[in-house]
Amino acid sequence: MNPLTRKLIAREFYMHRWLIGISMIAGLAGLALVARGGNMNFNVGFLVWLTTIVAFGAVIAMFGIATERKERVMHWVLSLPVAHGDYVRIKVAALLACFILPWFLLSAAAIGLILLQAHLPDGLLPVTVLLCAFMLANYTFVVCSALHANSEGLMTMVIIVHNTVITLFMFGVMAIDGIRTHLHDPAAAWNSAFWTVLAVELAVFLVLSSLPFFVAARRRDFT
Amino acid sequence: MSTSNPIEFRGVRKAFHFFTLDDLSLDLEPGQILGFVGPNGAGKSTTIRLALGLLTPDAGEIRVLGHRMPEAQAIAKRDIGYVSSEMRLFQNATLAWHLRFIASIYPGWDEAYAATLLKRFNLRAEQTVKGLSSGEQMKAVLMLALARRPKLLVLDEPTSNFDPVARHEVLNEFTDVLRDEDRSILFSSHNTLDVERISDRIAFIDRGQLIDSRDKEDFLERWRRIQLQVPPGTALPEVPHVVDRVTDGQFVTLTTNQFSGDLLARLGGTVREVHRMSLEEIFVANVMHHREARGQ
Repeated sequence: MNPLTRKLIAREFYMHRWLIGISMIAGLAGLALVARGGNMNFNVGFLVWLTTIVAFGAVIAMFGIATERKERVMHWVLSLPVAHGDYVRIKVAALLACFILPWFLLSAAAIGLILLQAHLPDGLLPVTVLLCAFMLANYTFVVCSALHANSEGLMTMVIIVHNTVITLFMFGVMAIDGIRTHLHDPAAAWNSAFWTVLAVELAVFLVLSSLPFFVAARRRDFT
Repeated sequence: MSTSNPIEFRGVRKAFHFFTLDDLSLDLEPGQILGFVGPNGAGKSTTIRLALGLLTPDAGEIRVLGHRMPEAQAIAKRDIGYVSSEMRLFQNATLAWHLRFIASIYPGWDEAYAATLLKRFNLRAEQTVKGLSSGEQMKAVLMLALARRPKLLVLDEPTSNFDPVARHEVLNEFTDVLRDEDRSILFSSHNTLDVERISDRIAFIDRGQLIDSRDKEDFLERWRRIQLQVPPGTALPEVPHVVDRVTDGQFVTLTTNQFSGDLLARLGGTVREVHRMSLEEIFVANVMHHREARGQ
């Protein structure tokens, strides 16, 4: 990694530092509510945690790519000694790093909470892991789309899909017997249903995070 | 192709759905300020984006500071200061942050010059970019480009957001920059007053085609508007290099692009006035003449 690439990645962290901090605090506050016990606390806390991660992903992808392009900051960045292919690669790396930091912390905290809290059955662990992996894949969908879509309308569609698909995912996963039937078990069921869904999520993540390297980074024209 | 010129275009073509830049050959020599003039949509920004490697030509060859574009754009841009009126800085960051950021990237960053420009442009380093007016933002972009001390400055309509005072300050700065004889500027604008003031060579572009390119003084010396009085029933002598002719009763106004004493002698005693043309008049007459010649 050359020094300019490092600086541009560091710049991305600098630009999103407040969002990263606020999302980590909000997500942890949601988990703290879950830790207090009770159905209401669980539901509200879970929703805060989930919404924080989803919204954070949408916001940094929008600010980091779409807004930067719309406000023509990208023109200035491209006046620096970087090729447009490098710009795309730096964006993918930087935005993934910016997301992964709070995502990892909040995912690890959620898993830790289930393991440590007696009132939360360990049967929740597989679905929590799948949900966290899904949010990562869903985030790469927004980043990948933002790097390829030039229209504001298309970006709005992408954000709507990104925000709603999580509900569809929950319905879908809960319809899988191998996962639903073990939710309240005292021990986690790391069965084939879990591994299959996780493999699909990881494949989606890998495809969507590498697609910009083969498409957007190879564009002949950058306008 | 020689590699000595900071910018060299040879037979460059770039086609879009509704616009084509066609067969563009252009040179910017070391230490030269090339004013690149054309109406809106003529192809100025497309040419500049091609020079920066942001667009890939469909045909032809582009070299900037000896580097083939767009392949070597990252290397070439180390020595290029590119400023466009469309460009914006990071809105939530301060100017001081931008100064530190650019200083950390460019080894040739001139801290003292940056401080001078900051003062001269009346900018405050601690202010966030979103608090600056559009003219101030443009000055900030210019300052960040100038203090890198680049070998080549590429300026795309840099003065379009400025009031007359700011325009004066900035144009003065460009001429100061050129005291270093190795530094070159490509200055694109549709404001011919700005171009006339600082450029030493001028290229006119219209509808994707380069229509004329020569030294500024050459343009100003060659182009004249000549008013003649032709008595009724008298035929006007045939003279070459007349690009426009307007008749109003006995009065005929000719525009020539090859003015000479010989031309005046051929017109005889009918000449009432010879008018030296401004660059704007030359530009308009040149564009209209070429459109007519192309049947557009």
